[in-house]
Amino acid sequence: MLRYIEGNEVKLTPNDGIFIDAEFYYTKEKFTALEPHRLFPKSGGNKYVTLLDADGNQVAIIRDTASLLPESRKTVEDALEEYYMIPRITRFIKMVDTFKIWMWTAETDHGILTFEVKNHISTVKPLYDGRVLITDTSDNRYEIPDYRKMDPRSVKMIETML
Amino acid sequence: MRTSINKAFPEKFLEKRREVYGENDPLFTVVGDLAMDRRYGDGAICFEKDRLTVFGDQYASQTKTVSYGELENVSVKRMYGNAYFAAKYRNGETEKLMRFTFFSANIADAAADFVNGVIADGFSDELLNAVENTYLEQRSFCPKCGRKLPSPDAECLNCTGKKKMFSKFAVYALPFKKSLLACMLLSMFTTAAALVPPYVTGYMVDTVLPGKDMRLLLTMIGVLLGVYVLQFAVTGFRAYLLRVTGDKIVTQIKKDIYAKAQYLPMSFYDKTSTGSVINRINSDAAAIQNFVLKISQEAVVQFFTMIGILVIMLCMNWRLTLFSLTPIPLVAMVGRAFGKNIKPRYLRIWRRNASISSLLADTIPGIRIVKAFSHEKESTGKFDAYCNDWLQEEKKISKVVSAFPAVMTFLVTCGSLIIWLSGGSYIIGGRGGITVGLLVSFISYASMFYTPVNFFANFNDTYQNTLASAEKILDILDAEPERDFTKDTPERIDGKIEFKNVNFSFDRSKKVLSNINLTIEPGDIVGIVGTTGSGKSTLINLLMRYYDEYDGEILIDGKNLKDIDIGYYRRQIGFVQQEPLMFRDTIFNNIAYGKPGAHVEEVFRAADIANAHGFITRLPDGYDTLLGERGIGLSGGEKQRLSIARAVMRNPAILIFDEATASVDSETEHLIQGAIENLIRGRTTLMIAHRLSTLRKANKIVVVDKGRIIECGTPEELMALKGKYYKLIQIQSMGEKVEAEKKAENFE
Ligand SMILES: Nc1ncnc2c1ncn2[C@@H]1O[C@H](COP(=O)(O)OP(=O)(O)O)[C@@H](O)[C@H]1O
Ligand SMILES: [Mg+2]
Repeated sequence: MLRYIEGNEVKLTPNDGIFIDAEFYYTKEKFTALEPHRLFPKSGGNKYVTLLDADGNQVAIIRDTASLLPESRKTVEDALEEYYMIPRITRFIKMVDTFKIWMWTAETDHGILTFEVKNHISTVKPLYDGRVLITDTSDNRYEIPDYRKMDPRSVKMIETML
Repeated sequence: MRTSINKAFPEKFLEKRREVYGENDPLFTVVGDLAMDRRYGDGAICFEKDRLTVFGDQYASQTKTVSYGELENVSVKRMYGNAYFAAKYRNGETEKLMRFTFFSANIADAAADFVNGVIADGFSDELLNAVENTYLEQRSFCPKCGRKLPSPDAECLNCTGKKKMFSKFAVYALPFKKSLLACMLLSMFTTAAALVPPYVTGYMVDTVLPGKDMRLLLTMIGVLLGVYVLQFAVTGFRAYLLRVTGDKIVTQIKKDIYAKAQYLPMSFYDKTSTGSVINRINSDAAAIQNFVLKISQEAVVQFFTMIGILVIMLCMNWRLTLFSLTPIPLVAMVGRAFGKNIKPRYLRIWRRNASISSLLADTIPGIRIVKAFSHEKESTGKFDAYCNDWLQEEKKISKVVSAFPAVMTFLVTCGSLIIWLSGGSYIIGGRGGITVGLLVSFISYASMFYTPVNFFANFNDTYQNTLASAEKILDILDAEPERDFTKDTPERIDGKIEFKNVNFSFDRSKKVLSNINLTIEPGDIVGIVGTTGSGKSTLINLLMRYYDEYDGEILIDGKNLKDIDIGYYRRQIGFVQQEPLMFRDTIFNNIAYGKPGAHVEEVFRAADIANAHGFITRLPDGYDTLLGERGIGLSGGEKQRLSIARAVMRNPAILIFDEATASVDSETEHLIQGAIENLIRGRTTLMIAHRLSTLRKANKIVVVDKGRIIECGTPEELMALKGKYYKLIQIQSMGEKVEAEKKAENFE
């Protein structure tokens, strides 16, 4: 049976980086080194976060991290923050589109980088709310929160790919 | 020895590296691309036989050396979009040594395997070779531009460029050069003929009518009639010839794309929807044909028309000619601006079209499921949404595409007004030696002159549209096919299979097979067990060479799998999958698929071995029974037995069953089991099975868990080990006992 966590029935404490410890108040169960993963990493943010043990088995699902006690919430969200790296692209600096492989240089919240993408439908995936998901040739992922809100030059560059 | 490194060593640590290594090179180096705070930055680890040295800003001295003696193990932890290289020390402490994106993940994995190998068994060349091979796989860069290539010896698409695209498609026009040339000459003839009437008109106005010469008038009319008849007859014939040639060209392009699609690797199909492939074959090929014709015909003809008229006009009156040409620069500018604006839009349209095709390719064949879940409405809704998306884009593009010719026509019309103005004022003022007839024929020529100008202005539109299609087609035509169709074909394959340090991931975000080492002797019957998703089928996929991008080696009879001719090799394998795929054809042909041109009795024999002959004989149409798409019309167990018969036809050296009996009842399973046992005598056999009872003939069991081999040995050894296999046996025999008891109860 699936076990959901909501509110203050659990106390979560940091373990190491992406790992956290959990203590259930009512059942007195204790787990160490659980790995929180998002069940909807692309669409759901911090809603529905699963806690996995070392074997990859699920211990419980957090419906929404916002419902947790402040410290527990911070613990989970820090661990998630550590685990997930989806740089947000804020600006495109250069797109060199030579034939079917493109080199894009972009400014992200992790710094500036140049990455390689294939000119292929699977590379750039626009969503209806203006978000754009990008996968490069090394299978790294990037996100544009809302491409329409970027500067006009960047919009022009990315629009050709949507 | 070559220095192994996955990208340029970070400049900021070069000084430090010189301090540590002097002018020497480390054994190999993994360069990372993230700082410890996960901003893009620099880091590197140099590996030696007995120690590693980390370069990174997290250390005050920018470097730290760890000897393998201090380590319990090292590991690569893949997270989402990033990963780190961690060390676990003998004193129990752990430390993250370097962070990186997936760019460096495969190479870091190999490095970790190396270090752990050295820690466990000491340094050996074999360990180093495994790492070197991984570097080799990664190292396929274009020597000119440094870009990564799809395969080590592929040609760099970046450096060959777009010019190549034209020559690629020109190849399709070449075989038809004679008829294309004929068409061209014919149309030049018609063009020349079209130049006659305006001249005659001018002559009539200036000479025939004022001279009141009836006979000359009739002669002129006769000339005009002759010219018209000839012109239209030739035009008709040319149109026919051109159409036929065009059809031949498009057929050839379609054939080529389809043929190429057959040879593309599985990894291509993992990423490309069937819909977009179908779209390419169906509509993009036509766009290319259209383009080839436009270039080889119209463009040439229109060009000559333009020159011809220009010459005539200049001869008649150079001043008027210059006047009428004034709008041309504007026309050219507008055309260019238009082209820039339109191309991305065509690509967008193309993507919308591909989504529609994908949806069709998904839902129409899956109509049974759609109905079963009463999803007709949702399907329709989704389709509507996609169509609307397309419509939206199409509307946008329509605005531009419609406005453009209108603007052009307007500019052109302005040109004729200019002629009226200047020519008319000359005539009224009686200057410049211009007659009424001359003005009349001049205006006719000028309007004819704008047709080619218009054509070239609109040419951009066609050209951009085609470019969008062409790029898509080249996606397939230029994609790297499965390689090595011409390599070694050994005399025979005995069936010895070795996996050496095999690591594999479909994409770099998740590792599916880790450090697989396995030796299978000829004639072995190997059972592969493990939970769903543990990587059993993937192991088989690699053995079938569906995917080539693994690290490590797979050897067949001691030969690297990649050095054996792929077609020959696959013919030596009988592969029976969980979901047997049949084609829309007769049962006979579906079995004989395994060996084209097989004798009828061979097919019977195969069907008999597969326990299929019995049920086929009871079908009214027997072996002639026509199956629907994907084998509709047979039960799962029946299809499965046909697919076994198909495998038998090949008389394969290696047999592979991937959960061949997973989806059938126990009686059918019994029949299939019998079929399998008929077949496996003396052949190397790999059997993936959930029901362990299926594996009673196996002399070797491999237990796979989370992409690793956790147990391997004879069934007796594994039972004695009391590990996972033992547990599985316990659970299943318990289940079977309960089932048997229930059955007994029901019968009473
Ligand atoms: N084409 C693919 N692309 C990406 N991942 C895949 C693909 N095929 C399988 N996988 C993943 O690889 C893992 C192993 O799958 P598989 O070998 O089919 O397992 P099984 O042991 O059940 O046969 C699974 O986690 C699966 O999700
Ligand atoms: Mg499977």
